[in-house]
Amino acid sequence: MESSKPNSRETPNRTDGTGYYVYCIADSLAAQEIVQGPVPNAIEENVALELITRNSLTAVVSVVPLSEFGEDALESRLADATWTAIHAMRHEQVVEHFASRTSVVPLRFGTIYLDSAGIEQMLGENEKKLSEIVERLRGRVEWGVNIYCNRQTLMDNITNLSPRLRQMREEAKEASPGQAYLLQKKIETQRADEAKVEIARAVDDIEQVLNQHSDGSTKLRILKVETTEHGELKAKFAFLVLKAEFESFRDAAEELAQTMEQSGIRIELTGPWPAYNFASD
Amino acid sequence: MVGSDVELSDEAELSLLETLDHVLNKGLVIAGEITISVADVDLIFLSLNVLVSSVEKANEVLRERARGNLAELKSSHDTAESQ
Repeated sequence: MESSKPNSRETPNRTDGTGYYVYCIADSLAAQEIVQGPVPNAIEENVALELITRNSLTAVVSVVPLSEFGEDALESRLADATWTAIHAMRHEQVVEHFASRTSVVPLRFGTIYLDSAGIEQMLGENEKKLSEIVERLRGRVEWGVNIYCNRQTLMDNITNLSPRLRQMREEAKEASPGQAYLLQKKIETQRADEAKVEIARAVDDIEQVLNQHSDGSTKLRILKVETTEHGELKAKFAFLVLKAEFESFRDAAEELAQTMEQSGIRIELTGPWPAYNFASD
Repeated sequence: MVGSDVELSDEAELSLLETLDHVLNKGLVIAGEITISVADVDLIFLSLNVLVSSVEKANEVLRERARGNLAELKSSHDTAESQ
């Protein structure tokens, strides 16, 4: 299922005509029921969402112009951050709409077929695998956990609590100016080391505790160094949480947050997300 | 999206970045006839970081996001991107 491109019946470099943008894949009956009600906008304005069904699986799709979503056109569109952000948000709105009503396999942004036959073929060829993912994700959502560290609070806390640092400070007080200077340098290094250890331990604790309330977790890469009023982002996780277990998951996160607050560690939950991070096999 | 007790501006910006991270970077990669390559995704991220630090553009996208509200979606079909 990985991304080698199939032999196209037509060349993807076409810039005329239309293709199909695919958002997510769901159980056919559930998808048909959802579109009986109101549904969000498609990725292109003034275009309706459509369903393409093959047996038990249905792809949620919409028509897109190849003048924008054709291979070459898309590449240049993607360079426009605003265009990309807006279209990515619309992708998300559609996936969220379906994910909040049934179990879906969310697809990554930018999966386009030239015709509906290609989608039917994909559904048929991957039926077993896709059905397995739909079942694995059923009744579950993804929660993001961001861990921030306020360095100043953490440093102060370490200075007050570490026996080793307290001892070094006592020594520095009684030392000659030259020695005191060197000791002060050592204290700084020691503090930085202990801070690192403390952050790593907090991150491990959070991961372990929350794992007990989830059906899986994955550590995510940090996009950029984010420094907020709560400190610097130190780690990001995604947890797959049974909807019925969310209360206990949140309670556990809150308890951790309370315990760690005084050492400058802050926990933030984001979600519920469609299970993007758990959609691959 | 829940952003516990973060301030609104932070929450909005965070939610935007978080959402883009999910949509662009994760999700099942399936062999479409046209698919964004992995190299493209990294390029997108470079430009998105610039985007997010630009308040004006971020706001523009967030208004788009606000339209996610279904009631609004139905009525304000063509307001946001018409400039």
